[in-house]
Amino acid sequence: MSDIQLYLLEADKNAQEARRIAAQSASHLQNKTLKLIDLVTSLEPYLNNKEDGSLRAKSVAYVADVLTALPPKVLSLQERRLLCDFLLGRLEGDVEGVGATARALIALETLGKWDSETAQGVMRSFIDHTNPLRQFKLQTERHAIIQLVDMLLAKYRDPIRKLNEDQSDFTANFILYWEGEKDPRNLMIIFSLLQVPMTEWDISSNAQDLFDSVFNYFPITFKPPPDDPYGITAQDLKDRLRACIAANSDFAPYAFPQLLDKLDSTSMNTKRDVLVAIQACVTEYEAKTINLYSVTLWDALKFEVLNVQEEDLAEESLKALSMIGGKLAELPEGGPLNAYLRPIIKECNEHLEDAPTKQSEAAGRILQALAISGPAVADRIVKGILPVLFALYHASESITKRRGLLEVFTQIVGAFVKLSQLLPGTNITTLQAFAKDAEDAMIHALAKAPKSEVSFRLSSLTGLSQLVAAPGVLTDKQVERAVDTVTDVVLHDSSGGHGDIRAQAVQALASIAHNAPQAVRDRTIPAFMVMLPDSPDEGDVVTVTLEAFAQLATERQVFDTVVLRLKNKLRAAKHQGAPASYLRALLLAMLYAFTMGSPMQEDGVILSSYYKDYAQPLVNDFVRSDTGAAASELEIVGRICNIILRAQGVHMQATVFHEDREWMSEDMTGDSDSNTARGPFMLYYYASLRPEVVEAEQIVNMLQSQAKQALRDRQTTQESVTTLRLISLVVNKFVSPKAVQASLQEANIEVERLCNEASAAQAIHVAFAVVKGLLIQGKSGSLTTKYLNSLFDHLTITTGMTAAHLFATLLAPDDILTKANHCQISGLYKQKVFGQLVPKLTAAIRTADAGKKAHYLVALSGILKWQPYSILAASLPELIPALLQTLDLYADQSIKASALTVFESIAMHDPDALSTHAASLIARLLKCCIASPPRGTTTPASSSTTTPTNFPSVRAKSLQCLALLPKQLKLEIVVPFRRQVVKQLMGCLDDGKRVVRLKAVQCRTAWLSLEEEGGEED
Amino acid sequence: MDADKDNANPTILNPSDLPSRRRSTPAAKRPGIFDALAPAYPRLAEPPSSPEPSSASSDSDPDSDREEIDSQEIYDLISTISDPEHPLSLGSLGVVTISDIRITPPPSPRSRISTVTVLVTPTTSACSLTTVIGLGIKVRLMNALPPRFRVDVRIKEGTSRTADEVNKQLADKERVAAAMENLSLVGVVRTMLATCE
Repeated sequence: MSDIQLYLLEADKNAQEARRIAAQSASHLQNKTLKLIDLVTSLEPYLNNKEDGSLRAKSVAYVADVLTALPPKVLSLQERRLLCDFLLGRLEGDVEGVGATARALIALETLGKWDSETAQGVMRSFIDHTNPLRQFKLQTERHAIIQLVDMLLAKYRDPIRKLNEDQSDFTANFILYWEGEKDPRNLMIIFSLLQVPMTEWDISSNAQDLFDSVFNYFPITFKPPPDDPYGITAQDLKDRLRACIAANSDFAPYAFPQLLDKLDSTSMNTKRDVLVAIQACVTEYEAKTINLYSVTLWDALKFEVLNVQEEDLAEESLKALSMIGGKLAELPEGGPLNAYLRPIIKECNEHLEDAPTKQSEAAGRILQALAISGPAVADRIVKGILPVLFALYHASESITKRRGLLEVFTQIVGAFVKLSQLLPGTNITTLQAFAKDAEDAMIHALAKAPKSEVSFRLSSLTGLSQLVAAPGVLTDKQVERAVDTVTDVVLHDSSGGHGDIRAQAVQALASIAHNAPQAVRDRTIPAFMVMLPDSPDEGDVVTVTLEAFAQLATERQVFDTVVLRLKNKLRAAKHQGAPASYLRALLLAMLYAFTMGSPMQEDGVILSSYYKDYAQPLVNDFVRSDTGAAASELEIVGRICNIILRAQGVHMQATVFHEDREWMSEDMTGDSDSNTARGPFMLYYYASLRPEVVEAEQIVNMLQSQAKQALRDRQTTQESVTTLRLISLVVNKFVSPKAVQASLQEANIEVERLCNEASAAQAIHVAFAVVKGLLIQGKSGSLTTKYLNSLFDHLTITTGMTAAHLFATLLAPDDILTKANHCQISGLYKQKVFGQLVPKLTAAIRTADAGKKAHYLVALSGILKWQPYSILAASLPELIPALLQTLDLYADQSIKASALTVFESIAMHDPDALSTHAASLIARLLKCCIASPPRGTTTPASSSTTTPTNFPSVRAKSLQCLALLPKQLKLEIVVPFRRQVVKQLMGCLDDGKRVVRLKAVQCRTAWLSLEEEGGEED
Repeated sequence: MDADKDNANPTILNPSDLPSRRRSTPAAKRPGIFDALAPAYPRLAEPPSSPEPSSASSDSDPDSDREEIDSQEIYDLISTISDPEHPLSLGSLGVVTISDIRITPPPSPRSRISTVTVLVTPTTSACSLTTVIGLGIKVRLMNALPPRFRVDVRIKEGTSRTADEVNKQLADKERVAAAMENLSLVGVVRTMLATCE
């Protein structure tokens, strides 16, 4: 059998095999065992078969497959030309296999470039003989033709463009050719290839047809099928279609009216598409075209801003308006821009007259958006609006109106600020003319307006900081006046209560410091220094001032000045013997500056010189000298060291540590009291060090001395907290995971032994501290497991309550054990604790006697308190009964609160899990939300046990939880409880605490609303 | 659509001008920014702590400093009610103001009944929805205040042409109860109250 016969047999059944056969023919052609003429002759009976169209089509497909498989240079130019003519000749009489023809032609073209005539001939044949494309039902056939045309337009631009110029009917037919195509894969290419005629051909006579042929698809409402292998999205189509709409200025007469018509659509998505398309048109069309439609566009777009339907539509409209302004400003003559801005300025001025209204706010937004589009526009807006605005301002006595006007002014200034960031050196002389008026008005408002006019003063505050931010608008003198005014508000506006705007003023001052750092350094900081005495008598006012001062450090430009002044003040205060509370406040201010402020950085790391300049002197003054600094002061100094030191490299840390080691080591080995006293500092100091900086031997020494201290019983709570945290830190970071048990034994704090000692509370605390360090580290898995079991076993003894409470600390967040402090943090330690302990606990709760059960319940709630909900979600059936018991067993408030938090999460995420427990849960929640049971009227059962009072936070939490139930649980479950709940909540409405009353109102409203829903069913 | 409303373009108060408890708390009583530097988590060796360590003193005896219901609290309850014709709150429209809320303590030591009087200022003197607004406020307060309060909602003198008529309706228990049986009225009131917390 010949190849063609084999191919025809396989063509329908096995496309891959068919292609292989064609490839085989191709290789025959290549090694000359088959002549092209023989191959063509062998096709004849099938290609000319009059009855069977599909046979003809398959024969062409064979040709296409052979040609695709052929390497270049096998066929001569003449042979290629012959084949081309042959294929095109067939099209005239027979369009069967048209897709294959297109594929064959594409293959031919890759074998050798065509001359102009051939390219034109191919194009014409298709447009003339296969028009319209939609007659071919198969997407793949159309797809091949579209690819051919796309190739022609891409590679033979000039010859094809000549067709448009020379042959009058070509373009019209070309446009018609694509009509009715619906497949997104084809449309993607069509939208793309049509851009060639749209942008490169002279289409003035066909503009409307060409435009309509694409605009018919607007708006695109395509939804891709699920798991679409082609991955074409509606957005892809929208982007290409939009590029077509915006392709040629000649489209404008059709595009704008139709787009604006569609802007009236009720569909928000259509409106979105329209606005983006208008923006694209404004960008792409010529400025003189835009000029013709500018006012029409304004008249339509303004409604989206004046009557906002959706915020994003308003924003897109503003963007479009702004782009029009920018486009018209490109024209050398100012006429078109003036013509566009005149009606806008007129209308905005009208809206300003009755400010503040929604319209006047919108006018402010419009003016701002326009002014950003360019200096020329901004200039005209200033000249058109500001004279009117200030005339209105001075003519009005109404503070609200003045506020409305100032807000619009501030928005225009905001535009200048942005403009000068985009185009440094923007001419601001026009704005300067009004700067004095504006500044006077705003300074007057801040200094003289009644304090109760909060919004007026706030607007002035924003206005002033914007004015300062616009470079060059204010003179240096004017900037200083503005800075003085705002500083004054921060320092002297002590009205308190409703009119207090100091917080915002501090913010404004920080932003002013960014733009005018020198003025802030010269005026504000000295003014603050005057207000901060070396040794104050009364505490309160100073703290407020100090807080404000520390916040200035959030601005990098003045950071160094702020911390330097704080340091000097601290030194002076210490020298003058200021009260400890003041020293502490100054230290806190410094800590705040370094933590929340913007210290200078180098390669993203805080500058190491801060350590020498700031931390070191503090260490000398507070830690080394025996001044008896309080623990809280030492802690703050430690934290300041920590924040500067921890990001530094090994070298820098090692240098510092080496210097400090000498005086520290005295403490570490000795058993002196200063050792304990310096604990809070040591904790943060060691937390900042990288593990490689410290030597192993020192660590063991330290662990031993800390353990010794921890096991002593004459420590204060504060001291032992510090010691225990230090133990956790050392175990986690410094002790080598391989030598953990040995090191612990050496230090006398091996956990199992500690647990067995049992009697001393200190021992069990240390045990938990060690386990916490190990657990979070996650490197000694089996040892940790063993230790966790020891801790669990400890719950069974009679004094197990201490241990039970400590379980909450195991997982509690800790600001020492963090990645930033170079600690080892395992990602799975919470899961580990849950998986290992919770099943044992829930099992134990079911069987234990009342006394032991209490231990288990407390331990369980401590563990659950810090678990992410996703971890507990899987074990709800076991957890809920236990948690319900927690609610009524315990007088302990934090246990109750954490159980309530868990219930709240369950109600939010898995309300169905609560359905079967609804009655018991509601009854318990109602008990938890009462402060204390009414005396005398209690039932005998409850009066025998003294029911403890519930704390406000527990009451509020249980009400919050209760409020979720009517929304989350099924109606038939909650409705029966409605009457009882609503009645009981009446009492909570009169709770002694405001937050509880608020929650009670919310909760009661939620339950009351059940009535209507339930009632309708009756 | 604006034409259907009695007052199409009412004056809107700026949110920062409205009275709020947060704003009027003296700065000294608010937690300072430095306090936020150290988060409070339970730590080892600390006694099992109460959930609010900062206010531990007041917690030991919860009734020691009782926060009485004041006019700010009443204001917070009703200022978030939506106006039936604008998507705005009664507070921002100035329909209710804190100065027009009065709490009268019990008249004699033997009585426990305090009275809350709320004066309503309609946005225009011809506002036809004044009654509904009054009804909404009354329902809200009756649901949210403990039973020892008597709720008295009236139209502020000289602000509405129908004040007397409306006041009579709102003061009449039977008529309020009857109104709340009217399904369409209940619907309106419910949407008004939907924005309340």
